[in-house]
Amino acid sequence: MSAPPHPRFEVVIGLEVHTQLRTESKLFSPAPVSYGQPPNHSVHPICLALPGVLPVLNARAVELAIRMALATHCSVHRRSIFARKNYFYPDLPKGYQISQYEDPIATGGWIEVALEDGEHARTQRVGLTRIHMEEDAGKSIHDAAHVADDATHIDLNRAGVPLLEIVSEPDLRSPAEAAAYLRALRQILRYIEVSDADMEKGHFRCDANVSLRRPGDSALGTRTELKNLNSFRFVELALEAEIERQAAILEGGGRVQQATMAFDPATRRTRVLRLKENAEDYRYFPDPDLIPLVLSEEQIERVRASLPELAEHKCVRFQREHGLSAYDARQLTSSRALADFFEQAVAAHGTPKAVANWMLRDLREALSAFDLEIESSRLTPQSLAALMRLVDAGRTTAKSARELLPVLVREGGDPAALVRERGLEAMSDAGVLEAAVAAAIAENAENVARYRSGEEKVLNFLMGQVMRRTGGKASPAVVRELLARKLARETS
Amino acid sequence: MSAAFETLSELAEKLASREVSSVELVGAALARAQATQRTLHAFAGLRPARALAEAAQADTRRRRGEPRSPFDGVPVAIKDNMVQTGEPTTCASRILEGFVSPYTATAVTRLEHAGAVVIGRTNMDEFAMGSSTEHSSSGPTRNPWRLACTPGGSSGGSAAAVAAGIVPAALGSDTGGSIRQPASFCGVVGLKPTYGRVSRWGLVAFASSLDQIGVFTRNAHDAAGLLELISGHDPFDSTSIPEPAPALRSALDGDVSGLVVGLPRECFVAEGLDPGVLTAVREAVAELERAGAKLREISLPHTRFAIATYYLIATAEASSNLARYDGVRYGRRARGARDLTEMYERTRSEGFGEEVKRRILLGTYVLSAGYYDAYYRKAQQVRTLLRGDFERAFAACDVIVTPTSPEVAFELGAKTSDPLAMYLSDIYTVSANLAGVPGLSIPCGLVKGLPVGLQLMGPALGEATLLRVADAFERRTPWHTRRPEPTP
Repeated sequence: MSAPPHPRFEVVIGLEVHTQLRTESKLFSPAPVSYGQPPNHSVHPICLALPGVLPVLNARAVELAIRMALATHCSVHRRSIFARKNYFYPDLPKGYQISQYEDPIATGGWIEVALEDGEHARTQRVGLTRIHMEEDAGKSIHDAAHVADDATHIDLNRAGVPLLEIVSEPDLRSPAEAAAYLRALRQILRYIEVSDADMEKGHFRCDANVSLRRPGDSALGTRTELKNLNSFRFVELALEAEIERQAAILEGGGRVQQATMAFDPATRRTRVLRLKENAEDYRYFPDPDLIPLVLSEEQIERVRASLPELAEHKCVRFQREHGLSAYDARQLTSSRALADFFEQAVAAHGTPKAVANWMLRDLREALSAFDLEIESSRLTPQSLAALMRLVDAGRTTAKSARELLPVLVREGGDPAALVRERGLEAMSDAGVLEAAVAAAIAENAENVARYRSGEEKVLNFLMGQVMRRTGGKASPAVVRELLARKLARETS
Repeated sequence: MSAAFETLSELAEKLASREVSSVELVGAALARAQATQRTLHAFAGLRPARALAEAAQADTRRRRGEPRSPFDGVPVAIKDNMVQTGEPTTCASRILEGFVSPYTATAVTRLEHAGAVVIGRTNMDEFAMGSSTEHSSSGPTRNPWRLACTPGGSSGGSAAAVAAGIVPAALGSDTGGSIRQPASFCGVVGLKPTYGRVSRWGLVAFASSLDQIGVFTRNAHDAAGLLELISGHDPFDSTSIPEPAPALRSALDGDVSGLVVGLPRECFVAEGLDPGVLTAVREAVAELERAGAKLREISLPHTRFAIATYYLIATAEASSNLARYDGVRYGRRARGARDLTEMYERTRSEGFGEEVKRRILLGTYVLSAGYYDAYYRKAQQVRTLLRGDFERAFAACDVIVTPTSPEVAFELGAKTSDPLAMYLSDIYTVSANLAGVPGLSIPCGLVKGLPVGLQLMGPALGEATLLRVADAFERRTPWHTRRPEPTP
């Protein structure tokens, strides 16, 4: 459980997220976007900033940026400008980064963030200040273990990779809210296939602005910026550490200095990277090599029409159409793959509630046992439905079906054939079953009497006796029917 | 055999009739270039072996009756700021020492596709910053009309190479007058097309919103032919105009009757205008009137801010464009630096010349926090006003005529210690770059034995009109046929 809100201060957090757009090629160059290539293999004269090269904007990246803007209720601007952010660094080949500054592609949106304080789930709307496109820099490698000398080596594979920067309003009030916001943002990015938002590959990075103020104050306190937080856990830890640091300064009557901070996970402390007065002057100006990005209403509407159903809408629809609880619906819409699987399984099976139960309990367990996601599992929605139908028809038991799930998840296959091969058929030999039922009745005269006097619950006990005698292989439905018939007959 | 001073079209005809071979023409051009390197120094580098091999291929195509174009096999030169695969590009700067390009500029590719043979790279002011071709790491180029004088700049090498009869045509680039002013000083035709007409892909950037590749030739007809070849949309340049290459030569009918020539009053009273130049330009205007053109006085009120505006915008863009020359990936790197900052500082201090450093500093300053609004943003606003001036002017006239330069070629060293005096050499030319409109300089007289240039400016995409007027003027005057004494 995360830390409660600070007792003496109100915490104000705003986040800047950089996420890599899912394009084939770079933002301004035809070089492929790749991961894990040898250094300097995904490059083109444009990424190397050779003399005479010019940037050409990747139309797909623009489409993805519009997608994200529309999915987060932003205004997409009909005209936006690419600007140069000038600074010298060896992994920045041109000596400037092409970004958007005064006129970004989108501003003024929001997302719904689900916050779960134990049992009390609530959602909060978090405002988005702006969304803009920019290119990534390359990578400097100082590590002697990698390069076998003490020189710095440069890998430009990442240079020019398209990023979307998403800036939130200072609407977040705790590290836990910040983490929840990031999860919600990542879910949207994946849902609409704008970004894989994979933190481990550096596809999704976060800077956090944080300040404290006394409850009731309307003015914001002086903020600091935490740079390059590359996991959800670090975001929370770094914010907690920085909040503690600022609180200690303010409690001691001091003043927080505006600064850029770094978080050291080893010590769990933040430290000043540079103070604001030493901040670099990036000399932004419109890139004269690129014309203003002008979008037509039709272009924007085309992207809107191509947007998939968003999680929040799907969640409402699942409750309405499939009669799911809000909780189940939210679980099943947490990723698009899960939601798609559910709907296909429902189409093949017909009973949404039963499919939801199988997916959220047994299937989830089977997946987590192998650390798999639904999209990497070999179980198809159709085979889950087929498996469930085998149970429904009494051809196998729920218990056997649950045992089969890990096999299906890992290896796939036809459920009916697997049931046969593994001898998991429900006992269907009428003779054996009837003998077991007769034996159970004969040996439990007292309970039979209670049942007959109206205590219907006792049937469950008697069923258990039959199941024990059949080694759990009998279909509970068949046993129940047989038992009820036999008990009724013998009464009359 | 001597094909010196012949025009592109004349050489094309001789190649077509097999009167001469490409190997002969290219060989002769290389020989003249080499012979005049010590005196003129028009070239930063020649490519004799490759040029002769390409010429032999052109001859083979001719023999098979499969020439790539009428210009297949003609020798040409390109300015040393256009890249060509496998060739060095230095921009006359030490900082690009050792750089060999792995790709070719679009304009040069189009020359190659037509079969034109590039004999070498012409000298220039470093990174095209200058008006005299004195700011070059390989030394200055001299004016074929008078070796004590500069050829103008920054495309002085291209202008001198055509003026001295080494090649019939050359490419240059024009950011504030760098084609037109040297064309004027060297007595040749120089055309800066509409911004976006010719792709900048592979042109080493000085000021991206002003740079434009153009041509040097011996007459308007050749300029039309060459521009047809190199212009047209290029998807590799986002600022390239999405229009196909225009048909220009068909517009050259010699007829200018009824055409309205606008004479901006601001350009005929400017301080520092050489009286001889003014006389020659007035006489040229009178000749156009005799040819049937109507004269109309117009006003371009914001041109008085043009030089200031130009030096704010051009230096701002240059300061960013030249940041990539950092010693990290290619070109020169200072040796023995102890850390990154020292490597940057020494590489750039040693690699760039004084004028380039001056402009980088100026540009860095005008983009700095707290100064941006007062300088860069203000300059962009003035630029918009200046564009408005031209739009209004072209509602009232078809072409605008001015002197190309306020003076004829000046002597080497005359202005190197006074940057502002050097900047004023571009006073009539920078406006066309700021407005993005085409400008052309043609020879219109001689003052003290040195050529005078007449500048024609037209509305955006109005190259055909400019060339028609220039061609009509050439039909009525001898100036474009005047040649300097052979360069020793």
